[in-house]
Amino acid sequence: MNAVGLIFADNYEVEINELTETRTMAALPFGARYRVVDYLLSNITNAGIHDVGIITNSRYESLMDHVSSGIEWDLERKNGGLHFLPPFSYHGRGDRYEHILEAMQANVSFLRNCDEEYVIACSSTCVGNIDLAAMMDYHIKTDAYITVLCTRNPRNKQVGIPTTEYLMDPTGRIQNIEINRKPILQGAVVGANIYIVRRTDLLDLLENSEREMTSWRRDVLIPHLKDRKIMGYVTGETLLYLDNVVAYLQSSLDLLDPNLRDELFHQENRPIITRVGDSAPAWYGPRSNVRNSLIAAGTIIEGEVRNSVIFRGVHIKKGSVIENSVVMRNATIGEHVHLNYAILDKNVIINDKRMLSGYITHPFVVKYGAVI
Amino acid sequence: MSRKKKCVAMLLAGGQGSRLSPLTATLAKPAVPFGARYRIIDFSLSNCVNSDIDTVGVCTQYQPLELNDYLGTGAPWDLDLRFGGLHVLPPYQAAGGADWFRGTANAIYQNLRFIKNYDPDYVLILSGDHIYKMNYEMMLQEHIDNKADCTIAVIDVAPEEASRFGIMNTDRQGRVIEFEEKPEHPKSTQASMGVYIFNTDKLIRYLEADEQDPESSNDFGKNIIPNMLRDDQRLFAYLYKGYWRDVGTLSSFWAANMDTLGEDPELPLNDAGWRIYYRHSFDHPQYVGEHGEVLNCNCGDGNELDGRVEDSIIFNNIIVEEGASIKDSIIMSDVVIRRGAHVEYAIIDHGTIIGENATVGGSKDSCDLTVVANDCRIGSRQTVKAGEVLTGDRI
Repeated sequence: MNAVGLIFADNYEVEINELTETRTMAALPFGARYRVVDYLLSNITNAGIHDVGIITNSRYESLMDHVSSGIEWDLERKNGGLHFLPPFSYHGRGDRYEHILEAMQANVSFLRNCDEEYVIACSSTCVGNIDLAAMMDYHIKTDAYITVLCTRNPRNKQVGIPTTEYLMDPTGRIQNIEINRKPILQGAVVGANIYIVRRTDLLDLLENSEREMTSWRRDVLIPHLKDRKIMGYVTGETLLYLDNVVAYLQSSLDLLDPNLRDELFHQENRPIITRVGDSAPAWYGPRSNVRNSLIAAGTIIEGEVRNSVIFRGVHIKKGSVIENSVVMRNATIGEHVHLNYAILDKNVIINDKRMLSGYITHPFVVKYGAVI
Repeated sequence: MSRKKKCVAMLLAGGQGSRLSPLTATLAKPAVPFGARYRIIDFSLSNCVNSDIDTVGVCTQYQPLELNDYLGTGAPWDLDLRFGGLHVLPPYQAAGGADWFRGTANAIYQNLRFIKNYDPDYVLILSGDHIYKMNYEMMLQEHIDNKADCTIAVIDVAPEEASRFGIMNTDRQGRVIEFEEKPEHPKSTQASMGVYIFNTDKLIRYLEADEQDPESSNDFGKNIIPNMLRDDQRLFAYLYKGYWRDVGTLSSFWAANMDTLGEDPELPLNDAGWRIYYRHSFDHPQYVGEHGEVLNCNCGDGNELDGRVEDSIIFNNIIVEEGASIKDSIIMSDVVIRRGAHVEYAIIDHGTIIGENATVGGSKDSCDLTVVANDCRIGSRQTVKAGEVLTGDRI
């Protein structure tokens, strides 16, 4: 496909600081063996794009470490391939981008130096297995100036976190855009922060603005609604939102639904690819008891696990019970521990006989590297 | 600028593994899957990398397609290097004619040019079809300390088994004084593991001489080692004390897989100190369902387990439906085991579908191992009797 992919690694729209203090949003682990960026990179490369820039401005060590050369996505190439776009890349630019517009403005040189016709820009707001090639077909067929990916089913979107609602006419042309923190009404069309635009048009917008712009939607999309054809592409694919820790836990536990897993991981020709270490197989002990859970490789399960998502290298010792929880990489859970509605970040150690319990609306979050 | 390597490994991966049939019907023995996510060759390759040997020639011959695909550029083992790295060495056609590899020694002889490229001081000869975790660096150090011309890794076997192996009889310093291939009355229990370190100049000299001998079967055990002994070269045995299996037969293959299970396995796979590298699959994490019971199993990725699975090795992308049960078995990738089916003491090769309420195999205490080849269809309520080796559909 004649397009360059652009990934915004940072979280401009979500409030999940508990899990992003040590890492940028795109590096957030999600789904037992993946990180958020895996879904974005897979969607982009599955659409036949071989040139991708990842814009990031802080805490990007774990992201760079994970994505590395991009070889897993076949992005280690002579022409195009993967480009990390960290801050201070170009003259005159500082370190903090407050929104995607600024992030793009800081990297116009990258956009200028590509030669692809289109840009597909993706934020790390939600995950899904999205057919971006179909979105591109729609963009071309409708002769749109900008196409916006949106959904009628923003799964686990949280009230109080900024929502972009698009009001469209029957042809799909966007008439109005509302940005609010209100509850979402049934049938509302909500944005996913994924856009397609012709590269030269995007450069025009970024470089030739007459006034100071501070928001992609307020200062670019809304003023052009009248004179330009800005289209909404409503995807039927499930988008799992990661607005805050509640959304994160709910979206994680949604993966226990076999239909959703099929949709996400078994799409013909659209695999979700990740980069993993050389973990051993998962070992289930003779007295383990695992029900309705996702278990990554390299784990040692000797206790009970129910309705949970367990990442690589986790060790759950005898007599422990893990329920409705997400346990990230390399956690060690001692004997006779009880976890319910908990999210354990990476490298956590839970000593014997600890009991941690939250609720579906208030997960108990244990931060990176904590010892309890 | 000339560059050289201290040690180059040559991995013999042409083995047909006919006693592992039907697992080896369409792939070379080193490419046979092992331990829920590996292939047999991963062990030798990982041993090289973990021993700081970064140049490996893999001599392939029998059914190389899948093996070559698997090896690729060598990247999974960090062996995609500009100088060195992994190289697949198939038999080839040259000005003097074309030839298959006629024996282990001939396979190396035909690839001497590859070895000479790196001007190594030592050449490590390995076979790609053994399961073990061995530090070749320690063996090389002993080789150097002994000022040896050739060092042969040996393992202590049970006296009653010794006559199945090539046996090294050594003096007190470990110098080999006699080598007997499968002796009727073994004088020692030091069995050759098929792992050799040669000084490069000696290796080249003996391989070239061996080629001149029309009577030779061009084999390290049968020709090269006896010839060197006859010439009073310095041959030493290096005693390896650790897990090593030949996995030459279906039952030894089954047993070695089972050695990876248990709380304190004989062959631990989750070993941070000696990682076994492999080519990754892109399967999603595995899911254990509401009715799943997974007890003492090693499991790969992408599985959907909703039945009872006990004391078994479960590869990738396997579906075990509710009410199905598996015990003491090896289930290769992409197998489907339908509702109510029972599999016991069996190896089910990849892509096979076992229908509802079918029965495969029997108890390991009273029956022989059962094997179902790849991509077979077993219809519902069909039976594959214990001890059977099934290579076609049964509907």
